[in-house]
Amino acid sequence: MTKHALQKDPLNAIITGVGGQGNVLMAQLFGRALTDKGFAVTVGDTYGAAQRGGPVSSHLRISKQTLYSPLTPSGQADIIISLEPVEALRVLGGWGNPGVVVISNTRPSYPFDVTSGGADYPALADITAAAEELAQKTLFIDASEIALEMGAPVLTNTIMSGLAVGLDLFPITADDFIAVLKNQFDDKKFNLNHSAFQKGLDLAASNKWSD
Amino acid sequence: MENKAYIRGQKELREEVHDTGLCTGCGACVNLCPYYATSRDKTVVKDLCDRTAGRCYAFCPRTPTDLEAIRQQLFEPQDLTPELGAVKGFYLTRASDPDTRSLAQHGGTVTTLMSLALSEGIIDTALLAEGGGSDLPSGVAVSQASEVSKLAKSKFIAAPMVEAFNKAVLSDAQKIGVVATPCQTLALAKMKMKPFPKNDSQIGKLRLTIGLFCGWVLSWRSFKQLLDQKIDQRKIVSLDIPPSKYKTMQVETNSGLVEIPLDEVEACVREACKFCTDVTAEFSDISVGSARLPDGWEVAKGWNQVIVRTTAGEALMQLAKDRRVLEFREVPGGNLDKLKQASLKKKRTALDNLACKSGDRDDLLYLDCRDPVFQTFDW
Amino acid sequence: MADISNKTEGLADLLLGSEAIGRGALEGGVNVVASYPGNPSTEITEAIRQVAEKMNIYVEWSVNEKVAVETAAAASFAGLRGLSAMKQNGLNVALDFVSGISTSGSNGGLVLVVCDDPSGITSTSEQDSRPLARSLDFPLLEPGTFQEAKDMTRFGLELSEKIGRMVLFRSATRLQHARGRTLLGSLPEEKRKAHFDTSKQYVAFPSLPRHVEAKERMAQAKELCKDSAFNVYEGPENPDLLIITCGSCYLYALDAMNLLGLWDRVGILKIGTVWPLPDDLIKTHMAKNSRILVLEEVEPFLEGNLKELAVEWAADVSMPTFFGRRTGPLSDTGELNPDIIITALTEILELTYEARPPAYDQQAKAMVEKLVPPRSLALCAGCPHRASYWAIKNAEVLDTRDGFVTGDIGCYSFGLFPSGYSIMKTEQAMGSGPGVGYGFGKLGQFDMQQPVVAVVGDGTFYHGALPALVSAVNNQSNLTLVVLDNGATAMTGFQPHPGTGLDAFGHPAKPVLIEDICKSLGVRVEIIDPYDSEAATQKVLDFMNDEQQGPRVLIMRQQCALQMARSGKLYDVWVDQEKCVGEDCGCNRYCSRAFKCPGIMWDAQAQKARIDEAICVGCGVCAQVCRHEAILLKPLKAVQGKDS
Ligand SMILES: Cc1cc2nc3c(=O)[nH]c(=O)nc-3n(C[C@H](O)[C@H](O)[C@H](O)COP(=O)(O)OP(=O)(O)OC[C@H]3O[C@@H](n4cnc5c(N)ncnc54)[C@H](O)[C@@H]3O)c2cc1C
Ligand code: SF4
Ligand code: SF4
Ligand code: SF4
Ligand code: SF4
Repeated sequence: MTKHALQKDPLNAIITGVGGQGNVLMAQLFGRALTDKGFAVTVGDTYGAAQRGGPVSSHLRISKQTLYSPLTPSGQADIIISLEPVEALRVLGGWGNPGVVVISNTRPSYPFDVTSGGADYPALADITAAAEELAQKTLFIDASEIALEMGAPVLTNTIMSGLAVGLDLFPITADDFIAVLKNQFDDKKFNLNHSAFQKGLDLAASNKWSD
Repeated sequence: MENKAYIRGQKELREEVHDTGLCTGCGACVNLCPYYATSRDKTVVKDLCDRTAGRCYAFCPRTPTDLEAIRQQLFEPQDLTPELGAVKGFYLTRASDPDTRSLAQHGGTVTTLMSLALSEGIIDTALLAEGGGSDLPSGVAVSQASEVSKLAKSKFIAAPMVEAFNKAVLSDAQKIGVVATPCQTLALAKMKMKPFPKNDSQIGKLRLTIGLFCGWVLSWRSFKQLLDQKIDQRKIVSLDIPPSKYKTMQVETNSGLVEIPLDEVEACVREACKFCTDVTAEFSDISVGSARLPDGWEVAKGWNQVIVRTTAGEALMQLAKDRRVLEFREVPGGNLDKLKQASLKKKRTALDNLACKSGDRDDLLYLDCRDPVFQTFDW
Repeated sequence: MADISNKTEGLADLLLGSEAIGRGALEGGVNVVASYPGNPSTEITEAIRQVAEKMNIYVEWSVNEKVAVETAAAASFAGLRGLSAMKQNGLNVALDFVSGISTSGSNGGLVLVVCDDPSGITSTSEQDSRPLARSLDFPLLEPGTFQEAKDMTRFGLELSEKIGRMVLFRSATRLQHARGRTLLGSLPEEKRKAHFDTSKQYVAFPSLPRHVEAKERMAQAKELCKDSAFNVYEGPENPDLLIITCGSCYLYALDAMNLLGLWDRVGILKIGTVWPLPDDLIKTHMAKNSRILVLEEVEPFLEGNLKELAVEWAADVSMPTFFGRRTGPLSDTGELNPDIIITALTEILELTYEARPPAYDQQAKAMVEKLVPPRSLALCAGCPHRASYWAIKNAEVLDTRDGFVTGDIGCYSFGLFPSGYSIMKTEQAMGSGPGVGYGFGKLGQFDMQQPVVAVVGDGTFYHGALPALVSAVNNQSNLTLVVLDNGATAMTGFQPHPGTGLDAFGHPAKPVLIEDICKSLGVRVEIIDPYDSEAATQKVLDFMNDEQQGPRVLIMRQQCALQMARSGKLYDVWVDQEKCVGEDCGCNRYCSRAFKCPGIMWDAQAQKARIDEAICVGCGVCAQVCRHEAILLKPLKAVQGKDS
């Protein structure tokens, strides 16, 4: 089996975050890259009223030929990619299993319930410890920091995409994803996203899973 | 047994005071923080605060209060009387200046004492009530002695004087004097007890409390409706309540005197006043009210009865005498006794009302049934 | 959003359900698309709009759903093909016309796409639109896959044209907001011209003969759908259990079958032509099955009709045992999902299933309970609605007469929740804030003393508030109407409305201004910036206490914070750590706990408030809220009128 073949059918990935962070677009780009590779892909987005600070998840169901529903059944995630640390835990709670792998951004986006004083936000160390306990392996990275260094916090999702591709989580190559980026953006935006993606790939090369 | 003077938060203040009709509208809870405001003679909660202990609860005159502890702390034990609180001296006075008298409610004693305190530098800021008729009064800060007489006369709707105090302590004012109704003097006295260690530095700025004798205040909305029926309110010059046997409220207008039957007025009395035990503003430095004279009301209304309670009050009275800004007249025999009877009457009624409200003679809501004063008379 | 105009036939594209419907409309040669935005239907029209100019399609965001369907119907009467898309609540707005056209009939292909919202995720109800097809005699199609969403739209336009009746097309949130592989078909070459054949009438009256005709057309539709490929059976010849399903439940059922490994025991009959039902096909399968599980969103519509058929066929088909939302084990409310269906199947077939090891399951749930805070939806940082509600809330408190707010649908519905200080006390339908407020304003006769403030969004003002305002003038209702004007239909993604001066393509359109409408009605109308907190509070108080008879309209105008986030902050905002009182008595985090802008966070270590720069849009309102002058501002660009 080559590195870029489907390890499991269906392969269930959940890309999660908070409204406005760009995980919906991220899932869509993965969906495209995979569709272009000939996979049967379903991408289901779950959210309330968009853009208003609620949790947003996209379910990617990837198969050689069968069409799967846009909602992954409980406990069936193979991959969790999160743009926000507690959101990784939220998804892990519902869809995790001993075999799941988790990659997550570490920059918190505080829920309304926390900023308005009704709930507490856990310490990052508690988040990573909980994830390590429940997942086969995890990788927490401050992708937002890198995006901020690049001058555009919106690039966090593309950095995380690069990380996911670099870690071979999906049956696609970096070039497959770059082709989709090229299609999606005008030249200026493409260049920015391309270098963000590359940063993600570099992160993958230099970081280790914790299990 | 638990000390009566425990401290809770806004939730309890709402439940025990605002929602039960006990709130006097004094404004002791306003301007400490952004959560309260005074509007239309009501104290309103703008937002919910979840602190479990706060100054709002601590300062409110209608949260559990240990009156005896305050008496012991603020007054000299030998001055204390069960009916009238501390009495260092009892006088009949009026302003020496006829202009002041003509602007004042009665003898102009309050105006005179406040002006004096300002001009002598005893205080740098006087907090007085602005308003009149059925206008909504407010507490305003004055720093010139000449401005005091502009704010003379009684306003029969609650003016949130303690709110004004809370605001003034945040300003440049260093020495503050306040004219206050009895409930308001109690709030200020509670502040003097420094119940809230972290935040109590400001009360040191309070240098003088002149209390007004007070039977009740009126609720704005119903009193406005009553006046609307009777007179063109733009014409009102002043209001007054002659001694109870007259059974009227006198409204002086620029087209003559209008009398409103007292029972109609009393229907507008603020609910909270039914639970007030204090007619003479027992927790002030000096208390001032209308006078009773054998010469009848027409003469008496040009004079004031004054109770001096503290050394600070005594010093100011002495100064007024020395500077000859007040005229003194001999107090007719029996006046003090009559005042004591009037005071006891109010205490009895209030205690009865409180016991009735709680449904239990041992539960006087914000007061403590074990208070030694309440043991000295039947109710 | 995908470009749905790709000409390559047979290409596998990844399309949103909405986009697939849009593509189907293109393949079906649609000429006119008129819709009103509303989750989850908006993207259908958006997808078509993006390619409309180059394909010579007329697209508009109509003032409301009734006008939308009427616009599409006019195209049909003129021999063109028309489509209108809306959410289920919108169908109710259009219903009077929809009922009329059920009897009048139509000409060119006409499809009304209604997107239901099981569980009411972004709606005020989880209303099931399907029973209308039966009560008003419309054919109804319901896709189970993305491919079907596309193909059925095209089929719907053709079917409609054949039978001279509008066709209802029912989609639902889960399909609308998911993407799946879709094989593209060909785009038509035909260019139609609009011409109304004056020898014909499309009238709903006299209704009885028209009703008879409608029934005949339904019979015709049934015949045409008899062998439809949208109705498919998969499974063994004689299964233990037959699942009959339609719509988005189909894919869930496949998931459940796969996970439980049931393909040799259970069969699935998926119905795409939901009304009229394909009787013959159903009869064949019913005859072979003694147990039937019906999966559908949300009402037991299919279940009820199947039972009705079973009774009719009692003589030749033995009565099966039914399972479903009416009979159980499924609930008769709420959206289904694979898990619910797995549970139902394990119950019916007496199976055991563990999604993950029980110990893990417990641990995972305990972890969430312990660590994961809820993430409630809230108004955005800097939202002008928050500023408006802050002012209205303060005005109501200061007024002391126990006033309240009547409201309706839009981002401003957050007035129902803590984020909007929970000040909204009634909320039902587009425009019901003014409508119900108007009604309250007439209760003075019964000693109603409380002042009522009705709120309405700018888009909703045109959509549904005008009749109430006109009535309030006419009947002199004592009403303060606050228009929360953020210059956009922000909830659904900034579609234009009659006040924006733009059409669906962003080209200039003639603006119809709210203030002009109010002036022409002779109503007191003023405009105020809700960011100017104290002035706004006093203005609302003043409006509430206006003694003159009849309504008055206060427009609180300030652009949507999402627009502001794009166009740049007004102020740099920070907290003076020295001055901040924090949680002490005297503040107790007033800015974050009471005002609740999510741009303000709490630095637990320092015990001080802090501005979250990534979230704050720099509106400056919180600086007016802090009594301790701890929130400081530096203007970043010319702040209109209050430049400093
Ligand atoms: C509500 C009310 C009820 C009263 N009931 C009685 C009573 O039952 N028996 C009795 O003997 N006397 C009563 N008085 C006191 C009386 O009306 C006079 O205020 C008092 O005799 C002093 O007279 P004066 O001429 O010295 O006042 P002035 O020289 O006219 O000065 C009055 C001062 O009181 C301030 N003031 C006025 N109204 C208020 C208010 N509502 N709250 C706080 N400060 C205020 C004014 O700003 C002014 O400084 C009452 C006063 C009030 C306000
Ligand atoms: S507890 Fe303190 S901060 Fe809270 S409402 Fe009372 S005075 Fe204000
Ligand atoms: S009596 Fe005074 S302190 Fe107490 S609640 Fe009323 S206004 Fe506030
Ligand atoms: S300036 Fe204040 S109120 Fe406005 S968005 Fe920023 S934090 Fe929120
Ligand atoms: S910034 Fe102002 S309102 Fe916020 S916690 Fe500090 S002092 Fe209180």
